[in-house]
Amino acid sequence: MRFRIYRYDPESGANLENKPWMQDYEITFDPRGKKVLDALIAIKDTLDESLSFRRSCREGVCGSDGVNVNGVNVLACVTALEGLKQPIEIRPLPRLGVVRDLIVDMAQFYQHYRAVKPYLINLDPEPENERLQSPQDRAELDGLWECILCGCCTTACPSFWWNPDKFLGPAALLQSYRFIADTRDQATNERLDFLEDPYRLFRCHGIMNCVEVCPKGLNPLAAIGKIKTLLVKRAL
Amino acid sequence: MSRQTRQVGGSHRGLDMWLLQRASSVYMALFLPAFLVFVLLDTPLDHAAWSGLFIPLTMKVSVLLFIAAVLAHAWIGLREIFIDYVHFLLPRLALYFAFAALYLACLIWAVDILWSVN
Repeated sequence: MRFRIYRYDPESGANLENKPWMQDYEITFDPRGKKVLDALIAIKDTLDESLSFRRSCREGVCGSDGVNVNGVNVLACVTALEGLKQPIEIRPLPRLGVVRDLIVDMAQFYQHYRAVKPYLINLDPEPENERLQSPQDRAELDGLWECILCGCCTTACPSFWWNPDKFLGPAALLQSYRFIADTRDQATNERLDFLEDPYRLFRCHGIMNCVEVCPKGLNPLAAIGKIKTLLVKRAL
Repeated sequence: MSRQTRQVGGSHRGLDMWLLQRASSVYMALFLPAFLVFVLLDTPLDHAAWSGLFIPLTMKVSVLLFIAAVLAHAWIGLREIFIDYVHFLLPRLALYFAFAALYLACLIWAVDILWSVN
């Protein structure tokens, strides 16, 4: 199988004037039943131990191996090799700074995540046991809590590419709505206040790249739409 | 790193622009087919019939509203593009004002055209 992988080594001052380059690899590998991550690990084990990438759980739960394969953001561990056009081009997630090879600097992404206060804000005295919810209220959170923060959606979003420091991006907005939708949360107004400016939420133009690439099949655009509805309800 | 949260924010201009764009699109979507039907029913459509269409005040007002909706819709769309792509304050402000002036001129011109028919 043929691969073309983005390489960048910040320490190799002499190498190509410290610029990133695309490196070709050819490896005998039976793609049946295998994922992109299996090939990356095989390349690292047999051809080039300097190839760097993140991975942890290897089964689409931890969200650490988001990469761009043939132009589409995916989790390498759950993307089948079969059917991919060769040479399979693997690049780091777009728009974020590259630390090394396929490893990106997620600081901006997490900053937006922290900015939406992704935790329950409830000023009532803590109950003896847990804060209860009806099954219906709990169902509101389905399609929101499953996000693994892999960054595939946000880095696929052109609005994030143009304003990465100001537009929160689909992942953070999905998490924001996860707590807005939570009946136990008491900070809905403050959360909506935070989102009501020209950038944080309203840079979303409904391009839907986020929906297309989400490896967990979530729909950040729908969450953004629900936030807009709440903003309108509140304003009128 | 928390610089960006202080850099923007507080300007509650996102929602009204977005709402105005939606509202103008609804008006355009309702007006256009109704206008087309109205025009097509008015056969034969010669110059006299065409200009006769615009004599009633209701027609003048609804067409003017339509033009205002188009211009508002277009200006908000342009504003979105400028926010996305023009990151320096001065050129962005210049573009805002240039297009605001141009579109306002178009609106005034439309009033002149519509009310010249009588």
